Amino acid sequence: MDFKLGEKEDALREEIRRFAKAEIPPDFIYNFLDEESRDEDWAFTMSISKKLAQKGWLVMAWPKKYGGQEASYLEQMVMAMEATYWGIPGLGMGISGTAWVGPSLMLYGSEEQRQKYLPSIASGDPDGVWCTGYSEPNAGSDFANIQTRAIREGDEYVVNGQKVWTSCAHRARWCWIAVVTDPNAAKRQHGISLLIVDMKSPGITIRPLLNYSGVHIFNEVFFDNVRVPTANLVGQENRGWYQLMQSLAYERHSVGAQTYGAGKRMLESLVEYAVETKEDGVSLSQNAVIRHKLAERAIELETLKMLSYEIAWKMSQGVIPIYEASRNKAYGDCLQERMANTGTEILGAYSQIDQNSRFAKLKGAIQHLYLLFPGITIAAGTDEIEKNIIGQFKLGLPKSY
Amino acid sequence: MKEIKGIKMDFNFSEQQNMLRNEARRFLTKECPKTKVKELEKDEKGYDLQMWRNMADMGWMGLVLPEEYGGLNADFIDLMVLMEEMGRNILPGPFFSTVALCALPLLEYGNDVQKVGYLPQIARGEKIWTVAMTESSGNYRASAIKAEAKLEDGEYVLNGDKFFVSYANVADYLLVIARTAKSKAPKKGLTFFIVDAKNPGIHIETIPTLTGEKQCKVSFKKVKIPRKDILGKVGQGWEMAEHIMRKATVLKCAEVSGACQAILDMANTYAKERIQFGKPIGSFQVIQHQLVDMLIDVEGLQYLVYQAAWLISTGAPCDLQIAMTKAKANEVYRRIALSGIKIHGAIGFTMDHDIGLYYRRVLGAESVLGDTDLHLEKVAANIGL
Repeated sequence: MDFKLGEKEDALREEIRRFAKAEIPPDFIYNFLDEESRDEDWAFTMSISKKLAQKGWLVMAWPKKYGGQEASYLEQMVMAMEATYWGIPGLGMGISGTAWVGPSLMLYGSEEQRQKYLPSIASGDPDGVWCTGYSEPNAGSDFANIQTRAIREGDEYVVNGQKVWTSCAHRARWCWIAVVTDPNAAKRQHGISLLIVDMKSPGITIRPLLNYSGVHIFNEVFFDNVRVPTANLVGQENRGWYQLMQSLAYERHSVGAQTYGAGKRMLESLVEYAVETKEDGVSLSQNAVIRHKLAERAIELETLKMLSYEIAWKMSQGVIPIYEASRNKAYGDCLQERMANTGTEILGAYSQIDQNSRFAKLKGAIQHLYLLFPGITIAAGTDEIEKNIIGQFKLGLPKSY
Repeated sequence: MKEIKGIKMDFNFSEQQNMLRNEARRFLTKECPKTKVKELEKDEKGYDLQMWRNMADMGWMGLVLPEEYGGLNADFIDLMVLMEEMGRNILPGPFFSTVALCALPLLEYGNDVQKVGYLPQIARGEKIWTVAMTESSGNYRASAIKAEAKLEDGEYVLNGDKFFVSYANVADYLLVIARTAKSKAPKKGLTFFIVDAKNPGIHIETIPTLTGEKQCKVSFKKVKIPRKDILGKVGQGWEMAEHIMRKATVLKCAEVSGACQAILDMANTYAKERIQFGKPIGSFQVIQHQLVDMLIDVEGLQYLVYQAAWLISTGAPCDLQIAMTKAKANEVYRRIALSGIKIHGAIGFTMDHDIGLYYRRVLGAESVLGDTDLHLEKVAANIGL
């Protein structure tokens, strides 16, 4: 047994720290996903994506011929932890391109598609920004229930339907979309295909969906007779479900590491706040209740760190981490919830202050997490769905849905 | 293990560790079934002499001792593996007190005469040891230690009462920590002694417990101890105690992690077998999600335990990680033992079933070597609070 990171990972960690100091203004606070909302935040994020690309970090896992560095899973994990710790935006290019569109194209795409789409992602180009069209009004957790239809006419598909909760659609150049190509398939899963849709195509309407704090992250996207070349079919027709499940499991692995980095930073901020904030001359850090709450959060973070190490190590051994990815997502969600609750409890009355107000403590980071975490526990598979996956695939329990 | 270039990290156990785990599981399953565990709960001694001897024959008591003392010279992680299996099966008896609490300190702090005299006996399974540290408060703070050893005519004279001394009822020797000098700082002026349990000034009373483990009150009245029986250095007792507790805590957490895995396995098996409403209860999401919560708890705990054991084996400082691990072990054991019973339903509440054995043992494991509050406080102090 050995749980130490290697020299390579340590050096990378140090280099990321230097990058953050040089490129991220000290008063900048990275509110995960919020960058999609305001134009100036988006512009800054894309400028960082460009710099990350120049460092070779944007798609560090990819093969060199597609602009990557063939970085190990442990290096990817370090990148995920450190980028969120230092609040470096821009690694996602939206949230789809670097994480799953690229890797899926490498697994199932044609060489022509790879040549066409990968370079713009790898270089941090605005044309490399993608959104993902999976969820629909009646296909949330029951994803196989999608209704958006693609009918083949000659060398084109005609797409009709609606997607929802589409993050970044208002910034994206391309949409990675799941559609029904065979409505008569015996199993719904056998009639689904993956297409690449140009977001500039006629017939696409994007309607913003503001979240409950007024932030514009996701959208409804309507497709009205949108014509898509058949060359934009990814992999095989009607095999989309299987392609997507495999790549999803493979690409969910860094979620825990990202949560760890952000959580570690937040814990440190809260510790500092508790030490510096005095009530009647006594520092909050002397309060046993606060000490124990923060100690609990520290233990959960340490646990998530080990679970993240484990997944990266298993992948380095050739394991596809199906239940492990779900486990880390579920545990990370739980950790964020507790961190947000502890943080807001420590801030007390100050936790209700608008993030951007001059009266806000810790640059509003706690409020941001409080507002964000309920969405995080739903996005990319609800906790309940993750637990169903773990029950089925790890504990060998009967399928329950 | 598949060799991957440039990767040093390794979550695997060694071949030898896997063999040890398999050997322990086979032996304990066969020699220490739950009927035996229940029988030993009622037994005055609380352990099985023949089983003890067999364990010694397999080299378990001397596992981490050097060969010159009759040991197998294995790694600390090997001992952790063994403790996990003992926790998984539930092994009643003084293995933890003899090996974790006494043999390890004897090896580290004993002089040559003490090591040569005592360690081979332990390795051969001939002698049982325990540590007498906690007193009436039951906690692990230096300030709780009131027993006094005064130097009179070249000998120490020990007076005081120790509580929660595990398996003192069968011990041949006690490692006793007592005050040898008055000091305003509670951590100063403490010294460890090796004391023969048959000393006429010692009175041992077994405290009935609901965990099935033997706990004793040990009273010392004018117990004379020659200087040669000091362990380590006079006045350095608390530093030694902290060091002893570091390793012992990780081993106790390994025992808990093994127990938690056993509970999860039992509950998961039961959920697939028990039919209600015409299907296995494990097909219901309420049950599935409880089992998944247990799994996430167990795996998280395991990795904290493995990390702490690995840090100890490398000699790296790890007070923070140990405190985190014990606090986690305490919380996880409680949650999992309760979930295990709930999933079993009424049968889990009976003496006939085995799961209640674990539920009762939570209370002993939780308080030994520091309760949750103590360890959370240590964590807090270590993260800058």
